[in-house]
Amino acid sequence: MSERTRRIRHTPVQECVSLLPIDPLLVHPGDDPLEVMHRAAERPQTRLLGVVDDAGVLVGVLSTEGLAEAVVVRVSPETLIADIADIADAARFGHAVSASTVEDVMVTPATISETATIDEAFRRMHARRLSGLYVIDEAGRPTGYLDLLELTMRYVEALEDDRPPVDPRTEA
Amino acid sequence: MEVALAGAIFLATYALIATDRMDKTIAALLGGTLVIVLGVVSQEDAFAAIDLNVIFLLAGMMMLAGILRRTGFFSWVAIRSVKIAGGEPYRLLIVLSIVCAVLSAFLDNVTTVVLIAPVTLYIASVLKVSPLPFLIAEILASNIGGTATLIGDPPNVLIGSAAGLGFDAFLVNLAPLTIIVFLIFLGMTRLFFARDFAVHAEVRDAVLALDENEVLNDRPLLRISLMVIGATIGGFLLAQPLGLEAGTIALFGAAVLTILARLDAESVLREVEWPTLFFFVGLFMLVEGVVQVGIIDAVAHGLIELTNGDATVTTLGLIWLSGIASAIVDNIPYTATMIPVVRELGATGIPIEPLWWSLALGACLGGNATIVGASANVVVANLAGKAGHAISFGSFLRYGLLVTTMSLAVATLYVFARYLS
Repeated sequence: MSERTRRIRHTPVQECVSLLPIDPLLVHPGDDPLEVMHRAAERPQTRLLGVVDDAGVLVGVLSTEGLAEAVVVRVSPETLIADIADIADAARFGHAVSASTVEDVMVTPATISETATIDEAFRRMHARRLSGLYVIDEAGRPTGYLDLLELTMRYVEALEDDRPPVDPRTEA
Repeated sequence: MEVALAGAIFLATYALIATDRMDKTIAALLGGTLVIVLGVVSQEDAFAAIDLNVIFLLAGMMMLAGILRRTGFFSWVAIRSVKIAGGEPYRLLIVLSIVCAVLSAFLDNVTTVVLIAPVTLYIASVLKVSPLPFLIAEILASNIGGTATLIGDPPNVLIGSAAGLGFDAFLVNLAPLTIIVFLIFLGMTRLFFARDFAVHAEVRDAVLALDENEVLNDRPLLRISLMVIGATIGGFLLAQPLGLEAGTIALFGAAVLTILARLDAESVLREVEWPTLFFFVGLFMLVEGVVQVGIIDAVAHGLIELTNGDATVTTLGLIWLSGIASAIVDNIPYTATMIPVVRELGATGIPIEPLWWSLALGACLGGNATIVGASANVVVANLAGKAGHAISFGSFLRYGLLVTTMSLAVATLYVFARYLS
């Protein structure tokens, strides 16, 4: 592993959050999932929505997949019912059926501090199978959004730098 | 010394299981191995006490139900029920109760209620009525239905194997009573729930728009699964004349279905609830410990002293003892413990077959009294809570206690009239 690779793994999160034009999309717990879906469709790059309370503190996150389930279940419940195989699936379906506000669909916040490294950020995303994390300040208010793509691009750079130069003879 | 040691391990294991302070499988395995390690029972005797017929029967049925589950069959049945009921809520509650009772008589109760519950939640949401009456009725119906057959509920599997009572014996002796109890239960649901449902015609139409064919994932697999499960149940009826155990039939059915459906063996074996099977393994070893030191013998003689050796009082008392115990503690360890007690009671001259039926009826029907009385109750309560419709201990108890009291009273009359008068 080269020195540059090692350095990239320890890149602070704040250096990555603006690599791609993917901005935070913040909604409120009482919002209607249908209205939120419209807003999410206007910003398709942001695949993880942040849910903030009146004080602007992040109280949950909402994946576009979870949001879509809450919408699809109202129109085509058979599509989701067909996939139910165990207790976890049944609970997830029951959750989607009863969702009338964002609060009903959101999950516990997935956050990272600005000074954390991208390695820590990746571990957190991977553990919770999320495509992004909200960067928060000390008061728990979102200050940015780190997408999995932004983070992965830093790893791509490291791999490309480590790649041995191509021999023009073998290339021919 | 050995008696005190075995008794202490047994009580500690029961306490851990009852209070949920430790995973129940781990608690049973710990207790079951401790009686060996501390020399209460020899390793050979403890291993020999593990009833492989029970383990194989449960494993085979879990595989069969697991494969059937993949086809969307349970959701299909639930949506068909909605159509049959014409979207009318109370009629739907009755149809879903019948479906749960019938399916639970032949398949695992938990699988049945877990796969019927999501459709129930959806229907209730569209009809804008509470899903709780439906879910509570499904739980109660499932436990009543499971009482009817050898494979309907784990206590019956344990009793059938220990007593040498086959599928036909359970069907002839328990199914008639189960039907009577179930019909009275349906009547009770009218008093419990009928006034809770008032819906508009337009929402009724919305639920009828559900398409049951959309939830069937694999029709060829469904056909093969139903054929093999049907043949397996037929095989249970022939098991005793052929000199075969039910466990052999169930494993044979599971193997045949896996081959015919060309399924990957590993994925089929993942359908087996290994924690449940190891729970049984631990219990068998633990109970052998208390049997060998004479505790079970003492309990049996204590019961006889209490009832003055009267066969009628002992047999009918066992229904209520089992019903009350199963409402409070898991009915699987209770039944595993009571099987050697019933053997001892039988050895004193009390007719043993009515005792087996009393134990089965009390253990299965008692599970309906509380929300923690049976696995299906706990799982549905959990599911409903996650969907925002918590079933509290008290709200379930109101119905569970009445249905259980009715069930045990009818069972008492039935056992008395059929076996003791």
